[in-house]
Amino acid sequence: MIDYEWFIFLSPIIAFPISFTVGRYRRNLAGYIATISILISFILSFMVFLQIRGTSSPVYQSYNWFGDINVGIYIDHLALVMILMVSFVSLMIHLFALYYMGKDPNKHVYFAETALFTGGMLGLSISSNLVEFFLFWELVGVCSYLLIGFWYFKPNASSAAKKAFIVTRVGDLLFLIGLSILYVSLADKVASPLSIAYIVNPSSWPQILNYVGTTNLTLIGLLFMGGAAGKSAQFPLHVWIPDAMEGPTTVSALIHAATMVTAGVYLVARVYPIYLHSTAALDFVLFIGAFTALFAGTIGMVVNDLKRILAYSTISQLGYMFAALGIGSIIGDSAISFALFHTMVHAVFKALLFLAAGAILLTMMELRDVKKMGGLWKRMPITMTLMFIGAITLSALPFTASYYSKDTIIDASWKFFSSNGYSLFSFLPWLMLILGALTTTIYTFRFFFLAALGKPRSELAGKAKDPSKIVLIPLIILAIIALIMGQFQYLFYDFVYTNTIQVSIPYIVSLAPSMMVLLGLLITIPLYATSGWMSLDLRKSRLYRVVKNKYYLDRLFTNDIAERGIIPLSSGFSTFETYFSKSIEAIGSGTLKLGSFFRRLQNGIIEYYFVVLVIGISIILLIVELLGGF
Amino acid sequence: MFMVSIFLLLILFSIAAFFVKKKSWEFSMISSLIILLLVFIYALLNFWSGYNGGIISNYHLSLVPSIGINFSSGVSSLTLALLLLTTVIMPVAIYTARNGRYASLFYGLMMLTEVGLFGLLISRNFIFFYIFWEAVIIPVFLLIAIYGSESRETASLKFFIYTQLGSVFLLLSILTLFAFYYNLNNVFTLNMTTLLSGQFINGTAVPIFWKYFVIFGFIFAFLVKMPSFPLHSWLPDAYNSAPYPVTVILAGGLSLMGGYGFFAILLPLSSIIPSAVLWIIISLGIISLVYFALVAMMQNNLKRMLAFASAASMGFVNISFGVGIMETGSYGIQELTGGIYQILAHGLIIALLFATLFAIKSKTGKENIHSLGGIHREVPVLSSIFLGGLLASLGLPGFAGFISEFSIVAASYAILGPLIFLVIFGMIITASYHVWAAQRALYGPYNETLGTINDIGRNDIVVLGSLLILIFVLGIYPNLIFGVISKYVGVFL
Repeated sequence: MIDYEWFIFLSPIIAFPISFTVGRYRRNLAGYIATISILISFILSFMVFLQIRGTSSPVYQSYNWFGDINVGIYIDHLALVMILMVSFVSLMIHLFALYYMGKDPNKHVYFAETALFTGGMLGLSISSNLVEFFLFWELVGVCSYLLIGFWYFKPNASSAAKKAFIVTRVGDLLFLIGLSILYVSLADKVASPLSIAYIVNPSSWPQILNYVGTTNLTLIGLLFMGGAAGKSAQFPLHVWIPDAMEGPTTVSALIHAATMVTAGVYLVARVYPIYLHSTAALDFVLFIGAFTALFAGTIGMVVNDLKRILAYSTISQLGYMFAALGIGSIIGDSAISFALFHTMVHAVFKALLFLAAGAILLTMMELRDVKKMGGLWKRMPITMTLMFIGAITLSALPFTASYYSKDTIIDASWKFFSSNGYSLFSFLPWLMLILGALTTTIYTFRFFFLAALGKPRSELAGKAKDPSKIVLIPLIILAIIALIMGQFQYLFYDFVYTNTIQVSIPYIVSLAPSMMVLLGLLITIPLYATSGWMSLDLRKSRLYRVVKNKYYLDRLFTNDIAERGIIPLSSGFSTFETYFSKSIEAIGSGTLKLGSFFRRLQNGIIEYYFVVLVIGISIILLIVELLGGF
Repeated sequence: MFMVSIFLLLILFSIAAFFVKKKSWEFSMISSLIILLLVFIYALLNFWSGYNGGIISNYHLSLVPSIGINFSSGVSSLTLALLLLTTVIMPVAIYTARNGRYASLFYGLMMLTEVGLFGLLISRNFIFFYIFWEAVIIPVFLLIAIYGSESRETASLKFFIYTQLGSVFLLLSILTLFAFYYNLNNVFTLNMTTLLSGQFINGTAVPIFWKYFVIFGFIFAFLVKMPSFPLHSWLPDAYNSAPYPVTVILAGGLSLMGGYGFFAILLPLSSIIPSAVLWIIISLGIISLVYFALVAMMQNNLKRMLAFASAASMGFVNISFGVGIMETGSYGIQELTGGIYQILAHGLIIALLFATLFAIKSKTGKENIHSLGGIHREVPVLSSIFLGGLLASLGLPGFAGFISEFSIVAASYAILGPLIFLVIFGMIITASYHVWAAQRALYGPYNETLGTINDIGRNDIVVLGSLLILIFVLGIYPNLIFGVISKYVGVFL
């Protein structure tokens, strides 16, 4: 009944209780159990790859779960690249975490939870039904909640965990409404209304269009995008992710590279036929993505916390992926290939960057301010070289992996512009994406130069040194992949979707992204590779203040909506409740004189009272029984 | 006959519990476990194959047939689900009462509560339905009045009067049906199946005014029990003042009464409920969900917060009932089955939460959020179980509550339309205050004034853990119960 493919996600999920229980007694074993379980997932994923690489027929199994909801697995090429990526990157992160979390007294809890986290993401990737998808979606959410708050005794950590949970929950529930609309439109008419296999099958679309209608499809697309925005930290639901940096750095690596933020991109890609039938929903995805790419990039330029810079870069890069998906009205299913390739590339180099950051922070005692670092390249040469590879890939320097994956997306957005008759409206995505590329280069080299070059600006930075080479092996593997991955661009495109088109745009326009990288270098090298930034004082600039305060969005959510909206509403209702209750009591005691009634009951004989009552009832029943004869 | 024998055995146990003076805790614990085992065996024998949605194990004992007073009982899958809930809750509640400062009276009254619930669920005759409906109230009233904490006098009286008020309307509705049936057939009967049959109720025998009167009486009685806004005022006081074992029964067991009434009595009558009334039920459900969630957010006392959380999640049952009747076809079944599943899931989850909170209270001596803080450092296992309960309570997938909330929300869009955003708003608030409470009570820096405390022992882990695992299993493999419940619902749609 259950084939080996199920163990792709079951293996880490089963490891969760095992490594937790075993780890209670032998702390060191927990990490190995979790890592091995993920290695098993990776091997199984690879076996599936060998099995279906040549065919287009997916692995599909489905059983009844409850009502007309099914549960099962559905592995096509799209799901396959996802599970390969998730299990591989997660494996690398786990290997590094064996060292990084080595001294933590609660590391068995950590490894149990990261295994579950990975299992959730793998389960989500191969779900055959949207409700099952939603289950794993929430499992991923709750694991991130637990892991962000892993150092629960830090007030910041527990508050960040709460924030992450609530903000993503808002998105999740929008997703749930989308599911609800789809469900009521299809239930009663098809056997399994929320089956992914049914939705992605082209032959079911005449039916779906007929039953659901285009208006509802648009609505579903928008709501699903709401859910995706929560998980994948898109504007305006991105506010949780910078705070989520309070967890261990390896957790950040997991969240940002493999197990969480890509879930939203994958959701949109998974149900892409819905979007292809609604231009409005596609445009919405495109504009949210493009806007987020630029928006988060600008914040990334002014933040000083190393991990938060990487967090904003994640938000911005995810924006590119969504933008790619939003261009589907022009390039059709090829959009999935473009988005997924950037997802893969991003997963690799972001894992690399975070792990390198983890190595730095371990030696820096969690001091995360890049302005307090400096001169690290000299002191930790291997780590910083690995980080450099990650950084140039992030900034899409020509011939790095991102150069291929991201520039294709920017080119495609020009295609969107030209195919829409060069209207101003359709120009905006390209403009935002190209400016986003500029911000990417600036924030990348700003943090890298600040950390790597110059003189150490704190005592800790002066004493920093490389960890042993063995623990850096996962990073080296990731770095090598980041360097060569770009060459497999078209192979990958064709694997995900056989007819991926090649975007052809004027040569001069296709040079623009690289020009932006050059421009970014021209700005950052004189400023941050030297000590030029020290004399730079932007604090008087109003624009700087706005960006530095993250466009006041955090303040809007925490202060205005939560503290000035929900809390007063809630306390108003509780005050009302108190008075409501009091007035009921007043009516009661006033009219019925209950107090005296109660005093009579309290006469000390109440225990006998009740036994008498029971006996009385029994006697009555007995008499009735005896009389029942006639 | 098997079911009636279990019931008789339970009655014997409960009478004996009053008189077992030594080891009374052990006695009631073992007897409640025996009952649980027997009900489980009964369910295994009768429900997991070949059940068709009807009422089985019918038993009839003529008492006073001339005026229709007979004892008749029967079990449907609705009954079964709630019987299992009751019998699972009972050992948990008794376990919560383990520290031995209670006399045998206490355990006797606890067992008597179970008798009432059990009898209520298996009765197929209105007079016994009514007697047991009342019989549940009395022991709980006494338990609160005798063993309750501060303000127990007001709390127990409020509880008593509110539910009595509901009972009066219940009785009036029953008598109305009884009288009109006599009017039509010259036969006195109180048989539920007969009085609720479509043949009788859809005909012209009952004038339209009296039909509405009957509907109103039932709905009022059940809404008080649910409890639904604005008839809820008894609930926070009763939950708060009752000793923890009684709170567990109140929240896990008694909360099923209102929902049971809806699905056992009003569902067969659904054809005569006007849609305006259904909309009122739905609105009260949505208001309950949002209002109680908002009130719960501001509670400093965790016990009170959980009381409101309990009331809020019963709002889903209202929504399910109102929406499900208006819908047709398979998603109507999904909706109503979700409602019944919600009663079950809510009972288990809230019982777990109160039982765990009791463990926290007995370890730290505190139940206020502000007096706790960071206790995860000292009691990681206890705090993890409590967090598990909170996550289950906010409807997280993987726990039983998700199955029901998903079924209810997913299928309700056809009727609710944009109103679904209000439901979602309520769910967001619910999620918020749950994790907010967890953040302040369990996490953050440890409140050093609590001193050194030990984590819970092996027995506690087994009891609380197995309840959590049960909730988890019902969330992963719902078809253990979901399938058979939907057969019951399918009979009426």
